[in-house]
Amino acid sequence: MDGIMNDISQTSNLAGHNVEGGFDVERIRRDFPILSRQVHGKPLVYFDSGASAQKPRAVIDAMTEVLQDQYTNVHRGAHYLSQTLTDRYEGVRGKIARFINAPSEDQVVITRNTTEAINLVAATYGRSFLGAGDGIVISAMEHHANIVPWQLLRDEKGIDLKVAPIDDRGVLEMEAYEALLDGNTKLVAMTHCSNVLGTHVPAKEIIRLAHERGIPVLLDGSQSVVHGVIDVQDLDVDFFVFTGHKLYGPNAVGVLYGKAELLAKMPPYQGGGDMIETVTYEKTTYKDPPHRFESGTPAIVEVIGMGAAIDYVTAIGMDKIAAHERALLAYATERLTAQPDIRLFGTAPEKAAILSFIQEGIHPFDTAAALDRAGVAVRVGQHCAEPLMDRLGVDGTLRASLAMYNTTAEIDVMIEALERARKLFT
Amino acid sequence: MNADSKIAPEKLLQYDEYVEALDFLDEDSRFEYIIDIGKRADKVPFPADCMNEAHMMHGCMSKVWIVHELDGGAHFFKGQSDAIIVKGLVSIMTGAFSGLTSEELAALSLDHVRGLNLGALTMQRQVGMMAMLKHMQKLSRRADIAAEVAEVTAAAD
Repeated sequence: MDGIMNDISQTSNLAGHNVEGGFDVERIRRDFPILSRQVHGKPLVYFDSGASAQKPRAVIDAMTEVLQDQYTNVHRGAHYLSQTLTDRYEGVRGKIARFINAPSEDQVVITRNTTEAINLVAATYGRSFLGAGDGIVISAMEHHANIVPWQLLRDEKGIDLKVAPIDDRGVLEMEAYEALLDGNTKLVAMTHCSNVLGTHVPAKEIIRLAHERGIPVLLDGSQSVVHGVIDVQDLDVDFFVFTGHKLYGPNAVGVLYGKAELLAKMPPYQGGGDMIETVTYEKTTYKDPPHRFESGTPAIVEVIGMGAAIDYVTAIGMDKIAAHERALLAYATERLTAQPDIRLFGTAPEKAAILSFIQEGIHPFDTAAALDRAGVAVRVGQHCAEPLMDRLGVDGTLRASLAMYNTTAEIDVMIEALERARKLFT
Repeated sequence: MNADSKIAPEKLLQYDEYVEALDFLDEDSRFEYIIDIGKRADKVPFPADCMNEAHMMHGCMSKVWIVHELDGGAHFFKGQSDAIIVKGLVSIMTGAFSGLTSEELAALSLDHVRGLNLGALTMQRQVGMMAMLKHMQKLSRRADIAAEVAEVTAAAD
C-alpha cells in the first residue's frame, strides 16, 4: 500500500505540471479551448468525458477548414473539390485502421456511432446467421446500446439472451461466462470497458474461450478505445465498435471494425446511394465492404474531424494518455475512499479512470447539483445501464469520468465540493 | 404576463413572495434558499401512502410525487421528492400555484416559471419545473372531469 501511495503522491506532484515522458497536461489543456471557460463563476472542471469528451483546437480547425474551403459531397463527381475531399475523407479510414491496427482499411466501416455499429451487426450478421434457439452472451455491465439491439433480434428470431454475471467489485465472473458458452451460443457481445464501473474485461481470455468453441466476439470499445492502446489483431476480436465523440472527435461518427471474412458474408444494412454497384428495377448489386454498409451521404466534416482527433491522440501517444489517467484514477480513488460518506462502485483491479459513487444519505441528484455549483461537471443517473443499477442495488450513481486533460488539482476541487455538499444536505 | 389578467392577484400572493425572495438573492444564495425550502418541506407531512406509482410524476431524474385535492372549485397540491433540491422546487411550485381553478392553472405559462428566476441555476431545472406545472394542470383537469362525472351521476341517481 505504501508503494501505491508513494506512486500517487509522486504522480500527483507531476500531474498538474509535467509528467515524465513528455506528457505535459497544462500544454494539453491549452489545446482545448472550452477548458478555459467558467461555469457559475468557477473554472470548469470537466469530469464527464465518458459521456462525450471535449474537442481540441486541431479538431475544431480541421472541421472549420473543410466547411470554409473544401466542402462538397464525397464519392461523387469528377470535379476538383470532390476528388480532393474524397481523398481526405477516405484517408481517415486508413488512420482509423492504423489506430486500432486493423489489417486493412477495408475492414473499417464508418457508422454514426457505437449504437449504430452494434445495430448494424445485429441487423446483418445477427439476422442472417442466428436463428431460433441460438444464444447471445452479454455481460451484466452493458450499456443499453449493447442490450437493446440484441433484444430486438431476440424478439424477432427467438434468440436466447444470456447475461454473464459480475462480482461485487464489478469483475466479470469468468467461470460463469465460460459456462454460458454452450452449444447454442453463437455470438458474444460484450463491453471492453464498463461505462459505469470502468472495469476492463479480460478481452483476450474472453475471445480465446469463445473461439475455442467457434463463437465470434463483438467488443464494445466505446470506453476502452479512449483509455488505452487498441490492437484488434492482437485481441483477435471479430467485431470491434467505438464512437468518435468520446475520443475527442465530433459526434455523428462511429466505427465498426470486422474481420474480412465476416464482413464479406454480411448483407447490406441500409439501402441507398453510395453502397451499390449497379441498380436496375430488376436487380441491384452491392459494393464490397466497407462501402456496402455505408449508404447515403456520410458525416463528411465529422469524419475528417475524427481523423484530426486520431492524429492528435496518436501524436501524444495512447500509452502516455493511459499512464496519466492511471495516475489520476489512483489519486481520485484514494481521495474519494478517504471521505467518510462516499461509496464507490467498481473496484476491479483492471479499470479505467471512471469512478461511480454515491454520497451516503444524499440523493445523487443533490450531490451533482452541488458539484455543478462548484463548476464540476459529472454525470448523474443510470448511465444508460439500468440493469447494472439493479445489480448494484441503487437507483443511480454519480460518475466522474476522467480524461487526458484532467488534473489532480481538479480532483481536489471535486472533493472540496463533496465536503460542501455534505454540509449543505445533511 | 397576459395570463395574470385571468387570475385574481390575491391568488398569486405566495407566487409573488417567491418571486420577490428569489429575485433578491444572488445565484449561490438562491441555491441555498431552495435547499432550505427542501429541508423545511419535510416538516409538512406528506401522506406516506401517496408516495407510490399512482402519484409519481415521471420523467424526472429523482422521484417526484404530487398529491392533489379539489376544494370548492380550487385545486390544492402537495409535493414530495427523494432529492432535497427537487423537494424545494416542488414545494415552491405547489405552494405558489395552489388555490387556483383549473382555468387559472391553464392560464399559467413558461413565463410564470421563468418569473421565479430559477433557470440560471440550470436549464434542466427550468424544464423540470415546467414539467411540474404541466403535471399540475393535468391533475386539475382530470379532477374537474371526475367532479363533473360525480355530479351527473349523483343527479341521475
